[in-house]
Amino acid sequence: MADNTRTNTLQRLLRLWGLYARMDLLWMLRDGRQFAIYALSDLITNIGSVTAVLLLAARFAGIGPWNEWQVVFLLGYAMVVNASMNMLFQYNVLHISRRIGRGQMDHTLIQPQPLWMALVTEGFMPVSGSAMLWPGLGLLIWALVRLQMTVTIGWLAAAALNLAASALVMLSFSFIWGSLAFWAPRAAEEISSAAVDLVSQLKGFPLDALGPVLLGGLLTVLPVGFVAWYPARCLLGLEARPWAVLVTPLAALLFAVLAAFVFWRGMKHYANVGSQRYSAFGHRS
Amino acid sequence: MPTSALSATAPLDIVVDLKGVCKTYRQRQRSERLVDAVRNLLHPRFREVHALQHIDLQIRRGEVVAYAGPNGAGKSTTVKLLSGVLAPDAGKVQVLGMDPVRDRVRFVNHIGVVFGQRTELWFDHPVAATFEWKRVVWDIPDERYQRMLGLLKELLGLDEFWGSLARELSLGQRMRADLGLALLHEPEILFLDEPTIGLDVLAKRTILRFIRDLNRERQVTVMLTSHDMSELEQLAGRIVMIDHGHIAFDGDFSQLRREFADRRRLLIETPNGQAPVLQGAQLIKSDPGRHEYVFDAAQVTLPALLEQAAAQAQVLDVETHRAPIDDVIADIYERWQRNRG
Repeated sequence: MADNTRTNTLQRLLRLWGLYARMDLLWMLRDGRQFAIYALSDLITNIGSVTAVLLLAARFAGIGPWNEWQVVFLLGYAMVVNASMNMLFQYNVLHISRRIGRGQMDHTLIQPQPLWMALVTEGFMPVSGSAMLWPGLGLLIWALVRLQMTVTIGWLAAAALNLAASALVMLSFSFIWGSLAFWAPRAAEEISSAAVDLVSQLKGFPLDALGPVLLGGLLTVLPVGFVAWYPARCLLGLEARPWAVLVTPLAALLFAVLAAFVFWRGMKHYANVGSQRYSAFGHRS
Repeated sequence: MPTSALSATAPLDIVVDLKGVCKTYRQRQRSERLVDAVRNLLHPRFREVHALQHIDLQIRRGEVVAYAGPNGAGKSTTVKLLSGVLAPDAGKVQVLGMDPVRDRVRFVNHIGVVFGQRTELWFDHPVAATFEWKRVVWDIPDERYQRMLGLLKELLGLDEFWGSLARELSLGQRMRADLGLALLHEPEILFLDEPTIGLDVLAKRTILRFIRDLNRERQVTVMLTSHDMSELEQLAGRIVMIDHGHIAFDGDFSQLRREFADRRRLLIETPNGQAPVLQGAQLIKSDPGRHEYVFDAAQVTLPALLEQAAAQAQVLDVETHRAPIDDVIADIYERWQRNRG
């Protein structure tokens, strides 16, 4: 019985991802010129976002204890994390506070599926969101070749697990802050974007030189360290402890639990007050 | 035509049942004065807005119910409670035997909702793409999808803009598409919150005709809110009027007219410019030779007025008609406002 339910859920998830992938592809193919401009501008923006760190690493033969190819690996890792967010959680899922603040949760609530299922599938845009994936993977492979690292199945599994965990940390961070929009819809409408931007801007820097307090903050309050730096250190073998590779997945689990709790409290509040004009810093209709 | 394939309850049963439903919002009070603003930081002041107070309402299968009331009366709150996006503070909400909030996932398969000021359409996709999206998300069987799509395309004229992006549609086209979308899964009940807001007369007529046919031929229960009373009168057999969270009237339109004064207009043509003075009627307009009065048919009869007019002037022609329902409702709102004041 439980197996049947699980199978049905998985089938439904696959069907929904297929639907959104098709919609995304059709959207991209609707206008050739628009497609070309979109892809080109994305490429330029993404290259621009890593160029500063890359040039610094090239000029000084690395940053701190990281040599230049390890920095390239870090940047590649950060780009792939960003790409996965863009591919999986578009349509104001990553930027959840917009959906809440604009009163758009109502649209989701009148769909005959659990809320989590809508949020996990609705933002799937594997085509238009993939602009960062290819340069990110390119940087990763380039760095691995230059570093002459032996890539085993175990290493690939650890890399995949850590990439997923880093993406989950970023998503959870956005949801924790974004849930504030349940209580202050209009004032906090853009808070998820601000949180995501903050993480995005800092995630490509090696954080080794920071003191324990600052580093602790960047692994807890603002968990930038788990989005690229710490998992990249582990995958590059810069962390001596073998279990270190599990730290990011564990942290992701904790952040996810916290995000789920805050979001659940927010939804309970929303069920009571809805998207009405009387709430403090009310809804934008 | 058959009734909804999803129908799980017998005809003529109660499909909407509200018992003692209350909903109150808290509104923070603010001031223009700096000293008040500082004081508010420490001791915020709130006003309670009672959107719904102990509402009891039942709707039977196949009814078309107009849900009316002045701005801020609690109409949209009721629609949200009934569609499962809002929970009541107290009381019980049951639709088709289900609790809309607790049984949300199962429940929304049986209802269609249109929020007139919002759209369910995917803005940057053709209308066709949103219908296909709905087919998958609602898991609509192929046979039903094709049957309903054919019907809706024909009745709502969707082919005209089937391939257009939602953001390119006119307001009327958008509403037709939204209505079609709300009905695609063959819901048993349709909740329409201001479905004709901002539409031109032609678009309005198309939508109203469609809703009426839908109810007659498919026995879909419809509850709609609108500010346009004449449109509600055309469509609904029953009107529920809400005022400051209370149900102030529940009955049919003729009963409403009787209960709140059966206002009628009387137009009299006379050869000279002097308007006859009629006891029991109020002169509202007088052009040379044409005089318009308003009177309450429950208080004074038409023959009595004509007799008075004939005694004062030669009556050349007479026209009488009921006051537009909008006037009746405006009078009612005004009366409620006076009573509260």
